[in-house]
Amino acid sequence: MLDWKLEIRKRLVGSNLKPEREAEILDELSNHMQDRYDDLRVQETTHEEAFRDVIRELDLTDLVSELQPSEDIAPQDLVPEGVPAKGQLLSDFLMDLRYAIRTMWKSPGFTAVAALALALGIGANTAVFTVVNTLLLNPLPVEKISTLAALNTTQKKKTAQLGDLQALSFLNLKDLRGRTRAFRSLAGHSSPMAVTMTYKAEPHRIFMELVTSNYFQALGLHPYLGRFFLPDEDIKPGAAAVAVLGYSAWQNRFGGVSDIVGRTIKLNDTAFTVVGIGPKDFKGLYAVFGPDLWVPSMMAEQVLPSSLQKALTDRTIPLFTGIGRLDTSFALPQAQAEMKIAAATLEDEHPDANQGQDIVVRPLIEAAYGPERQALMFGGAFLMAIVGLVLLIACSNVANLLLARATVRRQEIAVRIALGAGRRRLMRQLLTESILLGLLGGVFGFLFGYGGCQLLSSLRPAEYAQNLADLRIDPAVFGFTFAIALVTGLVFGIVPALRSSRTSVSEVLKEETRTAGRTRGRINMANALLAGQVSISLVLLVVAAMFLRSIQHEYTIDPGYQTKHLALFMLYPGQAGYDQTRTEQFYKQARDRVSSIRGIASFSWASNLPLWGRKETGVVIEGQEQRKKSEAISTVVKTIDLDYFATMGVPFVKGRDFTQDDRDRSAPVAIINDTMAAEYWPNQDPLGKRVQLPHGQNFLQIVGIVKTSNYQTLGEPPQACIFIPLRQNFSDGMILYVRTEQNPSTILASVQDEIHNIDPGLAVEDIRTGTKVIDQALWWSKMAVDLLAVFGLLALALASVGLYGIMAYSVNQRRREIGVRMALGAGQGNVWLLVLRQGMTLVLIGLAVGIALALLVGHALSRFLYGVSGNDLLSLGGASLVLLAVAFVACYLPARSASRVDPLVALRSA
Amino acid sequence: MASAVEHEWKKSSSELLILSLLEDQSRHGYEIGRLIDIRSGGALHFHVASLYPLLYRLEKRGWIQGRWVEKAGQRRRRYYRLTPVGQRVLVAKRLQWQDFVGAVGRIAGVEHA
Repeated sequence: MLDWKLEIRKRLVGSNLKPEREAEILDELSNHMQDRYDDLRVQETTHEEAFRDVIRELDLTDLVSELQPSEDIAPQDLVPEGVPAKGQLLSDFLMDLRYAIRTMWKSPGFTAVAALALALGIGANTAVFTVVNTLLLNPLPVEKISTLAALNTTQKKKTAQLGDLQALSFLNLKDLRGRTRAFRSLAGHSSPMAVTMTYKAEPHRIFMELVTSNYFQALGLHPYLGRFFLPDEDIKPGAAAVAVLGYSAWQNRFGGVSDIVGRTIKLNDTAFTVVGIGPKDFKGLYAVFGPDLWVPSMMAEQVLPSSLQKALTDRTIPLFTGIGRLDTSFALPQAQAEMKIAAATLEDEHPDANQGQDIVVRPLIEAAYGPERQALMFGGAFLMAIVGLVLLIACSNVANLLLARATVRRQEIAVRIALGAGRRRLMRQLLTESILLGLLGGVFGFLFGYGGCQLLSSLRPAEYAQNLADLRIDPAVFGFTFAIALVTGLVFGIVPALRSSRTSVSEVLKEETRTAGRTRGRINMANALLAGQVSISLVLLVVAAMFLRSIQHEYTIDPGYQTKHLALFMLYPGQAGYDQTRTEQFYKQARDRVSSIRGIASFSWASNLPLWGRKETGVVIEGQEQRKKSEAISTVVKTIDLDYFATMGVPFVKGRDFTQDDRDRSAPVAIINDTMAAEYWPNQDPLGKRVQLPHGQNFLQIVGIVKTSNYQTLGEPPQACIFIPLRQNFSDGMILYVRTEQNPSTILASVQDEIHNIDPGLAVEDIRTGTKVIDQALWWSKMAVDLLAVFGLLALALASVGLYGIMAYSVNQRRREIGVRMALGAGQGNVWLLVLRQGMTLVLIGLAVGIALALLVGHALSRFLYGVSGNDLLSLGGASLVLLAVAFVACYLPARSASRVDPLVALRSA
Repeated sequence: MASAVEHEWKKSSSELLILSLLEDQSRHGYEIGRLIDIRSGGALHFHVASLYPLLYRLEKRGWIQGRWVEKAGQRRRRYYRLTPVGQRVLVAKRLQWQDFVGAVGRIAGVEHA
């Protein structure tokens, strides 16, 4: 073989090939030339002629230029030119996908940081959406909820105010059932009520709902196990002692035993047979709180407290919310019209009970939230907005990272354009990458969201966690997470992709990577995104701070009684089958025993827990003219025993406390609060005046006036209240109030022991300290504030990581410039200041915008704040300071590294 | 003039030629050049100067892949084969070419074979 290599090598001069590659080319081309030479020789040419011809054909200009520009691009990474879009979408997509996976794999650090930022944002959204979906969007797992309606009673004049809705009496419901045509079936259910359930000799307090036998069928539900109630189980009062157990009660209280159907449990003092288990996700018709079991309405007398035991025969006792399934040929307005007429008929037939009353028909979905509907809706929307902003920060963070990376990838992209990759094709490829990143974030986000939901569930108050709605991860949550992951990928990917695909080929190919001057546009975009992040995180921080201060204020609300040295024990002797004599004996025994415990300052009995006051309408004041039903006096009514006010620390304004002498044979008495005194006896002395309670037979003489306290909610406007003595007003379920000298938790066990000693069959489950009552009252707001704080901090963390990232990147880009400055005499301090100033300018701009936004948002939120104004300086200042401090650190670190640049190294490496 | 036209023409069609020749079996550079020469009845020539830039470009795009093969009694040669991507590109280019030739034929009034 002739030596062709010398000739080839001469022509390859200047091609800067790597030695190995050059050797390969030399081999291959000389092979070719030898073959050509051999062929020519076979055709009987002379050696000289053949040699000359072969050499003449060796013009390597094209080859040299072909070998030049894109030496370091891996060949398989190129998007092939000329593959038509038509019919090739899938293969293109697969190719893009493979390429995207490879790109992500090649820079694991970038991928991890970006996916984590997105996962945090998406996770927060998934968790909040799960809550919103469970409570608001899809609260009741019943069949065709749109054709179900809830029926309630209201006073005619007040129909507009939903807060005044009342249940229907059993007899009214029964009449309506016989008369309706608009509702294919009309069922009824009570609200969840506490009963004592005894199983294997252990008493527990649980929640029960009375329902008509067609309740489950009207809702279109199917039992998980066993069956629901039969029509003939709901005809004769007290005849069919059967119960349907809720799924979670079965799981939590009975360990999910498979042979539960047919077992006997005792409710109060009656044995019931479990005939079925309710559907898995069904916890009654209130979105938030549900019962443990259901009992046929005919068992009312066996399970209800003595005050409600006549519910089946007394038309004035409201007990059932009606549930109607609309007939296919009727719409809701027609049903409403029909019920209006029915209400008028009822009023005619039974004027005593139904005077001035109307029936309200609402879609069941609206009724599901009860009176908290508006607050829940607002809270849900508000939290969604907050986490939406967190996600926006995460997106802009990742967009920034992509922009920064786009600078590095410009050469690659330019080469691809030069090789014929279309702009649209390129954008599609870049978007595939960002969407893939979004989906990766979505997968981890879903896991975060799931964890968040578990955490939220575990924060439910343990006393009735199983009665609260379970957070459901259903297909809607999956769909939501998938959709936001997709949208997220598009949102943070589109700007960098647009910019990248607009790359000017000739400029970039000429440009060397170290020249950073041309990336100004990118940096500006990044700066705008950063300032935006800073302002949004400030808004979130300020909102969190304002609500934090608001709840702090709520904790300092004086409810009007002491809570620090208070312990409460709920006892229902009536539910254990005690009659009046035995119950009264029990109250006395308990007093005697508890008084012997050391560390107890005083104690009393009362009918309600603090903040669980019950209102009664229709109080009559002696000597004042009869009021119309719609203007009836409504007050909180509490039954209490001796020493109640001393135990609670409520001071007397005037008059006396109840005494031993106020007993059933003596004149009936009452104590009122000063709000009632001022409202109904202005400029008079109420002492000695007489009032009558709605269901009372006698007039009660007012013997004392006490200070007003909070009866239903913390910080409520003053309400009128009437206290009546236990000794004149028997009740078979009372709460033992104990005032302790020290921390109340120390005596909880001894009180429980003493009561257990009197009767082991009495449930003393619900024990609370006074501070816990306050905690529980503020539980919702506390939870919301905790969430806000978490999201605010998350936003801050994301924004500061973003700030750090972009500052570090920009310092790296300016390394050469910094080197030059230092070589020309700039000191470390100057460089430090230069970088710091650049970063902090951005932060301050973001801060200014953020403060303006926070003031706007604060103004909008001010009506939800307690004791804090919408432009609370402390919140604004505090949040700004925290943000400034964190941002300073995020800028300080890159600034420090910039000031340590060695000019020699920077200039040489550049 | 004639060589300028040939240059343009070659540029647009040569990729198709090379991909087609590699469709059934792998071949080395000289063989490819010679096959083009023979099958075109001498109408088309590819020399070192024009063939290798093209081969290297196609390889860089991932349409073809070359590897060194040693056979007994022969010199070591670099054989090129079609990659799966190249396979798809070939299909697409054939369709384009058919459309193009058909269109030109219809306009110029040349009967298409």
